[in-house]
Amino acid sequence: MKKLTLSFIAASLVAGNLMADEAALQAQITALTQKIEQLEKNQGTLQEDQTAQAETLSKVNAQSANDNIKWDIDLRTAYHNIGYQYADDAKNRDGSTDTIHAGKKYSNDSLFTNRLWLGMGSKVNDDLFFNGQVAANYYWGADTAYHPTMAQDMGWEASSKPHDVSLRLRQAYFVYKFGNDWSIPMVASAGRRAAADGFLANHREGTAKPGSPLAHITNVEVDGAMVQFNLDKVFLPGSYLKVVYGRSYDAMNQSVFSAAPYASPTPYTGATFPGDEKVDFLVLPMSIYNDGASNLMAQYAMIMNAKGDNLAGTGYGVAAGTAHYGALSYQLDGLNEEVDFLNDSTIFASVAMTSTNPNHGFQMLGSIENKTGYSFWAGCLFPDTMTKGGRFGLEYNYGSKYWTPMTWAEDSIIGSKIATRGNVYEGYWNIPIVGKNLTAQVRYSYIDYNYRSSISFMDNPEYKNIDHSQELRAFIRYQY
Amino acid sequence: MNLITKVAVATILGVSVLSTSAFADAEKGKKLYQKNLKETCGITGGVFAAKFKQADWDKAYKAGTLNKKMEEACPAGKAYFESDKFKKTEEHMYNFVHDFAKDSGNIPSC
Repeated sequence: MKKLTLSFIAASLVAGNLMADEAALQAQITALTQKIEQLEKNQGTLQEDQTAQAETLSKVNAQSANDNIKWDIDLRTAYHNIGYQYADDAKNRDGSTDTIHAGKKYSNDSLFTNRLWLGMGSKVNDDLFFNGQVAANYYWGADTAYHPTMAQDMGWEASSKPHDVSLRLRQAYFVYKFGNDWSIPMVASAGRRAAADGFLANHREGTAKPGSPLAHITNVEVDGAMVQFNLDKVFLPGSYLKVVYGRSYDAMNQSVFSAAPYASPTPYTGATFPGDEKVDFLVLPMSIYNDGASNLMAQYAMIMNAKGDNLAGTGYGVAAGTAHYGALSYQLDGLNEEVDFLNDSTIFASVAMTSTNPNHGFQMLGSIENKTGYSFWAGCLFPDTMTKGGRFGLEYNYGSKYWTPMTWAEDSIIGSKIATRGNVYEGYWNIPIVGKNLTAQVRYSYIDYNYRSSISFMDNPEYKNIDHSQELRAFIRYQY
Repeated sequence: MNLITKVAVATILGVSVLSTSAFADAEKGKKLYQKNLKETCGITGGVFAAKFKQADWDKAYKAGTLNKKMEEACPAGKAYFESDKFKKTEEHMYNFVHDFAKDSGNIPSC
């Protein structure tokens, strides 16, 4: 009996435990079921989201499938206050007295300009890409795009000088890199380039990155082809050599529609006048050493059929000879890493020369002989200590009597300061307002001419015209 | 100085006081890389920046671990990434790698 009672109690306990386990199990199953239901619900939502994202992606793909251009914008609005003082004995280009302007002063105290650059980029892969830029550069309320002679508004400065509201092509070139594993990797390129605002001139334009040519002798928009040899692996850090060949002028001015009735006897072959020849150039910019702080660059350039005068000096703008150019520029960015002020300062110096070699029967710079001009350019930039990233800049230029660089596209309303045969003093303040996206600048340039201002084709520097000129410029610039 | 000149210059000087946002320069970051790391890492700045996507660089910068992320891209540069010199110029370096990251779509000029 006792045994039976114990067995019954044991059986009851086991049954009770089993029932309790079953209830707990049931509760767990219920909880799991709820979780699964919740997960299924979430999965459904996720699937809906994924479907919506896939649809959005399809729309983006459909929209951008053939849209391979990436754009950027650079808009600058500037105020200019300019003035010229003609020399008391100012001469015309032919050496006669300029009775109209001699001793007189001219000024414009409220000249405004807008400059828009629309940058384009297209990249097939890391070794093949395209860069382009269309530009509008104009005076408020004025249009100076009239082209009565070859001396005005030519292709080499079409977008760099203010003209009208039309968009013009400033840059369009492809770049193809090859031989990346060679000792000397190479780059090939062709098209149109703005060889403007080059090395050292970028500071006075408030631009962080300079163009590749040396601004001391080159500031033009050019059409040409280029091969670059990267010498970094076999020579000095950052070294390279570019070989650029191009054409800055073609005398071919008559198309098939140029003469009535719709047919020119010599379409695309004729010159406008005798001596109106093609002008080709060879430019060899070279980075000798660049470690990110010290940057030493050199450049040689040659212009064939450079414009000059005939022997009598009565016809100018004719193919008169060859011009040679050379420059050596150095920049030190960051003077002392331990001192913030010096670390954010930059100094630079550059020397350059130009040389003319007239053909028989022609003259350049008023002479039938070879003439050589020299120039020196130095400057410094240092923190303004008032704004975040703002810097003051001071520059000095000197040019000798026969100094004649190719800087027609330089961004100076009063004419190229670098081409000055005399002394130039310049100061500016580059101010970042919203980082690099919204910037401002105030700049003042004073040019004191010792000889004729170098504004026309290889004219005689003896015939001084302007005594001095000046420009105050203030701009605000949006870039993104 | 006439009135319009005064107004134009005063406007520019006036907006300069608004220069409160951080000024970081990708071009300066590129130069810093060239100066301090190019030889050590043995790769160009473009290749270095393209080691990661913009989101990766962003995440590391916000987390204060940009130096660690850069060390992943260039282990040989560890000493520089841990130096005070790097800390002082971190913002410029960040702008540089962000602008030239793998998915930046940035097209180099040449």
